[in-house]
Amino acid sequence: MRRGETRMRGSRKTSSPRINMAPLIDCVFLLLIFFMVSTTFAPMPGIRVKLPPPGRPSTTKPKGLVLQIADPEPGNPYGVMILNGQVVDMPTLFDRFMNAPQTAKNMLIIQAGRKVLHQQIVEVIDLAKRAGIDKIGFAVVARTP
Amino acid sequence: MLFRRKEREEIELPMAPLIDCVFLMLIFFMVATIMRVNPPFPVDLPRAQMKEEFPRKRYNVYIGANGEIAIDDMLVGTLDDLDRFFAQKAQLIRTLIIRADKMAKHGDVIDVMERAKMRGIESIAIGVKEEAEY
Repeated sequence: MRRGETRMRGSRKTSSPRINMAPLIDCVFLLLIFFMVSTTFAPMPGIRVKLPPPGRPSTTKPKGLVLQIADPEPGNPYGVMILNGQVVDMPTLFDRFMNAPQTAKNMLIIQAGRKVLHQQIVEVIDLAKRAGIDKIGFAVVARTP
Repeated sequence: MLFRRKEREEIELPMAPLIDCVFLMLIFFMVATIMRVNPPFPVDLPRAQMKEEFPRKRYNVYIGANGEIAIDDMLVGTLDDLDRFFAQKAQLIRTLIIRADKMAKHGDVIDVMERAKMRGIESIAIGVKEEAEY
């Protein structure tokens, strides 16, 4: 009797229930492939800009180039631009940036009206970067009383 | 007989290291995945030739042509809400990428920049069109 019992126990031990791993692995692989496909490592293109530090606005005259852009008139999407006191347009702006004295070329400050289109600002920044002006800043327009 | 016995002998592949490896990759991709999110309004980004590449992260600000503001796919009602958001998440944003429609007003963009700057986000970039989107 006893012998038989022990034998049975032994046989039960050898046929221990196994966890079926295959479906789990299938599932994990599926998830892995999904995440691999959906992951985007492509960077986002952009243009770095600088803003004056918050707080008290500086009263000293800035050293670099200052470009003022007026609010666009009705019918014309682009506003009138003034670079250091002279009216400029888009085609000649690049040459103006290129011919600017080296000391002025370290920074461009864009002072634009609130209604100027973002497109025009980006175009100006793009031209400035191509002309070798690295630092681009925005002057916050003083609100007209 | 001898041949038969050989056949019965099972060669088991050790599956554990494979599964470990797969799990590790799974966790890596789960963490690294940033879903492509679209703002709740169409944004047509301006083009530029000179551009830098920034890593794709969460919390990008979108500005629509009519001055709508969204953070990823979440619409932001007012500038005060945006300010509150920046106050909470400023630590998590290394470079804030402002992706504004080309027809957006400069004033709206400046407003967003100012709020970000006031909450201590030093690095700000303007998003431009990707090559693939041309």
